Amino acid sequence: MKNTLIHLSSDPFSNLACKEGLDLALVLATFEQAVDLCISGPALSILSNKQNPNSIHGKNLNKLLDGLEFYDIENVFIERQQALAIPQLSWQGIQTLETQQWQQLFGQYQQVFRF
Amino acid sequence: MQYALLVTGDPYQSKACHSALRFIKSALEHPTAQITGVFFYQDAVQIGNSLTQPPRDEVNLLAAWQSLSEEHGVPLYLCIAAAVRRGILSKDEATRYEATQFNLAPQFQLEGLGTLVELMNSTNKVIQFR
Repeated sequence: MKNTLIHLSSDPFSNLACKEGLDLALVLATFEQAVDLCISGPALSILSNKQNPNSIHGKNLNKLLDGLEFYDIENVFIERQQALAIPQLSWQGIQTLETQQWQQLFGQYQQVFRF
Repeated sequence: MQYALLVTGDPYQSKACHSALRFIKSALEHPTAQITGVFFYQDAVQIGNSLTQPPRDEVNLLAAWQSLSEEHGVPLYLCIAAAVRRGILSKDEATRYEATQFNLAPQFQLEGLGTLVELMNSTNKVIQFR
């Protein structure tokens, strides 16, 4: 079994990348593969629970985050410096890494896929 | 070394499908390299649309992938959920969705993400092209 990092970096309301990245993470977890998530850039907005998208806007991926623990996805990382720039981050399950830890994160996995 | 490829970039908005093809062609020149499969996900699934008609003075990317698969036995998988969402249907899926047409190109198979997980676990390295 390999350990996998799914890196979400795309705007969740601009295209399907975040949604399809999360889908892959959930499938990996369903197949009992070790999988962690990290979130950066425009994708950070999925951490805000003040979203109320309609069907034209797209899916509310923030609601998916609460279900991650049921899939045994326990690690969701962000970089502290990026989090500071977005004050409305509100989902509580994140682990905040200092810049150096964030940079080292990507070398700790056998596979990293970016969406 | 065994490689599997995860291709996620749109064939028209990115060079992911082109670069993946070039990677495989180079890898196959090395006697120790083996390509266990290519899994197309996200907008990359559009590569499997048999109805595409590229201009005659441009590369026919679909045909290039098909001949690579035929000549070297490289399996080409499209994520079924991503493909069906984008209107790439096999005959079976067209029947399931009561569509009158199907357009999945020969050499491509629709598979679930579980097939990608199997590829990951049976291959030394999975490389993403996005």
